[in-house]
Amino acid sequence: MPRRREEEYDDEMEPEEDEDVEEEYEDEEEEYDGGKAGKKRRRSDFIDDLAEEDDEEEEEDDDDEDYGGGGGKRKAKKRSGSHFFELEAQVDTDEEEEEEEGEDDFIVDTGAELPDEDDEGRRMHRRPLLHREEDQEDFEALERTIHERYGRREVEYDDEATEVEQQALLPSVRDPKLWMVKCAIGREREVAVCLMQKAIDKGPELQIRSVVALDHLKNYIYIEADKEAHVKEAIKGMRNIFASAKIMLVPIKEMTDVLSVESKAVDISRDTWVRMKTGTYKGDLAKVVDVDNVRQKVTLKLIPRIDLPALAAKLEGREVPKKKNKTFNPPPRFMNMDEARELHIRVERRRDPMTGDYFENIGGMMFKDGFLYKSFSMKSISTQNIQPTFDELEKFRQPSENGDGDVASLSTLFANRKKGHFMKGDRVIVVKGDLKNLKGWVEKVEEDTVHIKPNEKGLPATLAIGDRELCKYFEPGNHVKVVAGATEGATGMVVSVEGHVVNIVSDTTKELLRVFADNIVESSEVTTGVTRIGEYELHDLVQLDDMSFGVIIRVESEAFQVLKGVPEKPEVALVRLREIKFKLDRKNNGTQDRNGNRLSVKDVVKILEGPCKGKQGPVEHIYKGILFVYDRHHLEHAGFICAKAQSCVLVGGSRANVDRNGGSLHSKFTKFGAPPRAPLSPMRSPRGGPPVNSAGRFRGGRGHDNLVGAIIKIRMGPHKGCNGIVKEVKGNALRVELEAQMRIVTGKFNRDQITDNVNVSTPFREKSRFGMGSETPVHPSRTPLRPYMTPMRDPGATPVHDGMRTPMRDRAWNPYTPMSPPRDDWEDGNPASWGSSPQYQPGSPPSRTYEAPTPGYGDAGTPRDSNPAYANAPSPYLPSTPGGQPPMTPSSAYLPGTPGGQPMTPGSGGLDMMSPVVGGDNEGPWLLPDILVNVRRPGEDGDIGVVREVLPDGSCRVALGSSGSGETITVLTNEVEVVAPRKSDKIKIMGGTHRGATGKLIGIDGTDGIVKLDITFDVKILDLDILAKLPHVKE
Amino acid sequence: MFFHIVLERNMQLHPRHFGRDLRDKLVSKLMKDVEGTCSGRHGFVVAITGIESVGKGLIRDGTGFVTFPVKYLCVVFRPFKGEILEAVVTMVNKMGFFAEAGPVQIFVSNHLIPDDMEFQSGDVPNYTTSDGSVKIQKDSEVRLKIIGTRVDATEIFCIGTIKDDFLGVISDPGSTS
Repeated sequence: MPRRREEEYDDEMEPEEDEDVEEEYEDEEEEYDGGKAGKKRRRSDFIDDLAEEDDEEEEEDDDDEDYGGGGGKRKAKKRSGSHFFELEAQVDTDEEEEEEEGEDDFIVDTGAELPDEDDEGRRMHRRPLLHREEDQEDFEALERTIHERYGRREVEYDDEATEVEQQALLPSVRDPKLWMVKCAIGREREVAVCLMQKAIDKGPELQIRSVVALDHLKNYIYIEADKEAHVKEAIKGMRNIFASAKIMLVPIKEMTDVLSVESKAVDISRDTWVRMKTGTYKGDLAKVVDVDNVRQKVTLKLIPRIDLPALAAKLEGREVPKKKNKTFNPPPRFMNMDEARELHIRVERRRDPMTGDYFENIGGMMFKDGFLYKSFSMKSISTQNIQPTFDELEKFRQPSENGDGDVASLSTLFANRKKGHFMKGDRVIVVKGDLKNLKGWVEKVEEDTVHIKPNEKGLPATLAIGDRELCKYFEPGNHVKVVAGATEGATGMVVSVEGHVVNIVSDTTKELLRVFADNIVESSEVTTGVTRIGEYELHDLVQLDDMSFGVIIRVESEAFQVLKGVPEKPEVALVRLREIKFKLDRKNNGTQDRNGNRLSVKDVVKILEGPCKGKQGPVEHIYKGILFVYDRHHLEHAGFICAKAQSCVLVGGSRANVDRNGGSLHSKFTKFGAPPRAPLSPMRSPRGGPPVNSAGRFRGGRGHDNLVGAIIKIRMGPHKGCNGIVKEVKGNALRVELEAQMRIVTGKFNRDQITDNVNVSTPFREKSRFGMGSETPVHPSRTPLRPYMTPMRDPGATPVHDGMRTPMRDRAWNPYTPMSPPRDDWEDGNPASWGSSPQYQPGSPPSRTYEAPTPGYGDAGTPRDSNPAYANAPSPYLPSTPGGQPPMTPSSAYLPGTPGGQPMTPGSGGLDMMSPVVGGDNEGPWLLPDILVNVRRPGEDGDIGVVREVLPDGSCRVALGSSGSGETITVLTNEVEVVAPRKSDKIKIMGGTHRGATGKLIGIDGTDGIVKLDITFDVKILDLDILAKLPHVKE
Repeated sequence: MFFHIVLERNMQLHPRHFGRDLRDKLVSKLMKDVEGTCSGRHGFVVAITGIESVGKGLIRDGTGFVTFPVKYLCVVFRPFKGEILEAVVTMVNKMGFFAEAGPVQIFVSNHLIPDDMEFQSGDVPNYTTSDGSVKIQKDSEVRLKIIGTRVDATEIFCIGTIKDDFLGVISDPGSTS
């Protein structure tokens, strides 16, 4: 089709131009029609219609002419178009009015008479036109060209009307293109008119086809032309078109959009929400109460912005109601008639003849229920995309009789909701029409219709319903998320549904939120909504610019709610981002409570005075002696309470250690002569140097700030990545027992980086060697220890055993302990913590026996300098704090523990984790009776012998001779050496689970020996080191 | 609603517990770990009533901890939508009141309180009918219906209503009869 058009255009141009301009009216008309017919052969019948001017065809005829006249602008108002065209000819300003929207009214009016006018009218209109044409050839020629130009299009629109081949009508590559040209803002129409004038002046020279200025598009006009050069030529020298302006080609696909006219038929109906575009009420929400389509007026219900005194003055002064006209805009307020009367404003009560309602009339303004009822031109209101906020709607609802009507009218809100509002699977309810209150699920969403699957039986599987008739539906108990509006991002549970308003209980604040059903979606997510704007986060302590400070208790879309630091009464301020000066750091803002106890962040306090008396909770912030306490049960202000430090009293550490460690602790502290409250203070500020920086103290008074016992992760240094338990805190140094390796290391840490269960950065400087067993010089020292270790086990170890087991167990299973299991285990399995059990108290015999070996150990141990931390550790503690403490220091605690454990369960996994490691791996095999050994005494040759007996002190009696027949001597362990067995020797196993068992070495594989046990005939692979040869004789 | 069900859990046990009473240790640790916890699927674990089976332990490298798969019988409490519960009021404010049924916290919004009950602020905030015959205040016992639940990792929060037949106060501490 477009192709044909192109051809036709060329064809037609010539004959038409050839034709005599002086032709008679009929001829002209014929030619005109002929042009059409020629261009549009298929529409030949149309010519007849025209000729006959049949009534029936009148409309079509109109259409044609409309487009002929309408030209560049496709007017929706077809009927009127015909007249428009004619009138236009009459006033001989051609296209000028085409651009003018204002003409519409006019057209409409005349359009109504159209059928009557018919032939007559047409002729009458045409005649003067003809007349003029005779006078002015130019115009006729021009008009013809216009016809030519637009006539073509006419034809096509006929097509559209008759054949509905819309697709083919769309512009193609062969059609003139549409160019977008930038022009001065506000001059769009002017430019268009100028171009038109130019076209008139220059005639066909100007090769552009049309100019379009759209009202809704500022700064640009569209020019239809075949080539860009034509456009350039046309706009050359135009004042309001920027010479430099780029000429943009409108893509073919978008061409139709440029000129497609939105259905202007905005149905302003009653109860629609609109906004004012101009005047005092600009931007205000209004509700349509009456629509007068004829006069293009609407009556709106507004919240009046009336300055009563001013009004009164005016009324008094002039006695003539005058329109308000001020720069100052009074705030919207409901009209109070009594107030008005007080100001001696005359209030008349009138009955509206139309509606029968009573209105108060003040100076020509109508009021009802405090609302202003005023009539506005439709042009001064905007009806599109009105999104009333909840507050606005609330206001409208408030004074009115009953909210029902208004809530129902909320449905008009939905006229403005965005596209894609409904999603498949949404639960919806029909709010309008026959199917009102039908519930269902969205199945499919199309442009304006939504297919829903109704909930009720006996209905078709899916129903197509206009999306304006639907509303999202929620039931109480649904968990939803707010996706738009002031509370965007919040989640909560639906408590109740009132029409389109849904009440939800926020998950975080437990507050009630009122939102539109439209703005929420079902969701299982739990969020707080926004918690952060800029660098400020929820629950931050901030300094405000009026030198006050407070805690952010809520973050709204662009402001914070801040609970100010005023202890007398809770004061909440709404603060914008710029009003916050900076964040107040949580750093050491320690203060003192009523009893003089030092308070720091996270301490639990009880409030003794003020409005929140009796509340209790951890201190979140301290600033200038003001505490911000967080009480979970306090529902207001997000649980925050502001109180003076002086009106609070410390309750206890956040870990409630008092409860856990109970009376034993207290008794212990009383022994130390410390005040009962003391445990709290030192634990809180260990760095501040409590009088006795003892491990015992720390242990007892563990608090939030105290790290002892905490599981940490090392972030730096050689032990990076290791987990460990803090054993001791000394100033900036920590002693950490590594979890994976049996040792304690010391390192620095930065206190600020530490929180409860946290990873501490500890660049280690020095490590104390713990694995003393691995050190060879230590090894021999063990042997002499052994004898007296074993007996010690009875008096010492057994009570210790019980003593430690019981509390250990208690603690491990104690529901109080808010500790993670591994840490419990560690602590308890670790001898260091045993110190807290009373058995280790000074004066109690077992602990003394325990201490006894310590020096012995040290003496026996040869050169201990490789192990300074170890050897030294006990010494400072012993004198400084008599008793109690030594077992506490990990080093000293391990000391007795290790050797003590060995004799008990040598080589096998006992209760003490230390022992198997030390005994099994490092200590080497322990001698057993009957094994063959080499005795090496100083100054003597090696002599083979058979162990007869192992003495408790570690030495053994050895019968010399390969079969043990020689004399029996007593030797020390370090003087004997086990004889390594060879293949097929009889052996005795000296370590591992089979210790003591005998067998036969049936093979050797590297360092492992393959042993066949005598008793079970099992074949085992064991380390050769733990195998000892048995004397042959014995066999 | 309460259920008696079998659940399974992998228990990590410290090596020091190995010995004769390993099983006891395991059980006591299980109780400590599990009782009082809450899962979205099963609700609150109220009590462990028995051990069904203890699987083979697996030693963890590096730590020496041993993991045992333990199947245990336990009583769980899970509130359901539509369930009727009796609960004790813990707090009353103008938005409604909070009540507790065992470990479950239930909020009854003022929208879900019968319309004839009005909030009375004061020393003991309460909801009272216009004739004063029924009063909901702290420590009142109420029968309510759960209309919504929200399950977090550590708690279950419910929304309840007493705006229905046979719901409401069942015993009032204030009106000592």
